[in-house]
Amino acid sequence: MKTFYLRWGGILAAGLILGLLGGQRYDREVSTISPDQVLDHPDQWIRVQGRIESGTLMVEPVLHKATFELAGKPERLPVQYTGDELETLRELKVIVLLGKWNSSSRLFESKKLALTPNYGFITAAYLVGLIPLAFFLFMMERKVTLLYDLIKREKIYQPEESQ
Amino acid sequence: MLASRFIGKLRQFQNWFALFAGLFLTAGLYMGLVASPPDYYQGEIVRIMYIHVPFAQGAMVAYTALFGGSLWYLWKRDAVVDNMCQASAGIGILFTTVALITGSIWAKPTWNVWWTWDPRLVSFAVLLLILIGYLMLRSFLDDPGKKARYSAVLAIVGFVDLPIVHYSVEWWRTLHQPLSISTRGISIAANMLYPLISMSIGLYLLFAYMLMVRTQMLYLQQLLEAKQGRLLSDIH
Repeated sequence: MKTFYLRWGGILAAGLILGLLGGQRYDREVSTISPDQVLDHPDQWIRVQGRIESGTLMVEPVLHKATFELAGKPERLPVQYTGDELETLRELKVIVLLGKWNSSSRLFESKKLALTPNYGFITAAYLVGLIPLAFFLFMMERKVTLLYDLIKREKIYQPEESQ
Repeated sequence: MLASRFIGKLRQFQNWFALFAGLFLTAGLYMGLVASPPDYYQGEIVRIMYIHVPFAQGAMVAYTALFGGSLWYLWKRDAVVDNMCQASAGIGILFTTVALITGSIWAKPTWNVWWTWDPRLVSFAVLLLILIGYLMLRSFLDDPGKKARYSAVLAIVGFVDLPIVHYSVEWWRTLHQPLSISTRGISIAANMLYPLISMSIGLYLLFAYMLMVRTQMLYLQQLLEAKQGRLLSDIH
């Protein structure tokens, strides 16, 4: 049984390491902040997730430029986007922008867009898949080990109990 | 007892199955969660594919094993093969349920619904019901011979659902995406294909390992009961 628990300790450790690496990647490449937190990160590359306010989107296809405002509390965040993905921009759409806050121009300057990460769904899917699988396997292996021990000890014939 | 000798032989290799399953799954999880890029259309949500697709494939492999085992049982009438069928059904229920739940989680952000009456989803849900029915039938019967025979027939009849599950995305053009890997080619980028293949191989190996462990578990339970004076004539 000692080897069995050691093996499962190793599996648990490997799972935790993978979870940690996944978490680190999420913090590094996926996590976003809300438009009202942008001013706390001046002149830093950040990812902002927000909804494009209706009636604020102005697209200049020739210059590959668009200006709009992201909904925020208490005030809106003015954004200037420069890039090729102008078709992606739609009023009332929730998007993720990669860029930085320019203190002098009072604009959030972005050159890259991303889709909303929906990482809660991803985490839920992996947990729903892996936790029951691990639990099912653990219980099965444990039962097999216990059954072998029981069979070794069960030497005397015991007559069936009368109903 | 050809099957029990065969399983006895397999037992020598079961730890290798577990080891390689672990390696493939670890590599697949690392690539799927850390190293692979987000999809252009779906973004990060594509990562659910690396857990959903292998479980769905595993569920179909489990049912194929149950079907093959049922035919084998009706031919050879080996009690260990019946144990293997019961084990396969149990694992199949787990895999099918996980595939349905993870698919539902994937459907919400992509289709904006948790469930839709899509042929692939419905036929897969039917597969789960067949497997539950199989184990229910076993629990209703007391006579071990009848239990094994009737459930084997049910498993063989239920196999008709498997081609429907597989080809449903080809026969009907509905919400569920068509096959990414088929005879027409591979419609998936290499950096997404590697984690998917790694996870699939890992889950096939894990299924084989789980099948060996669970078959032993069921066999040992019967053996213990026999040693305790019950069902002696049915075991040997």
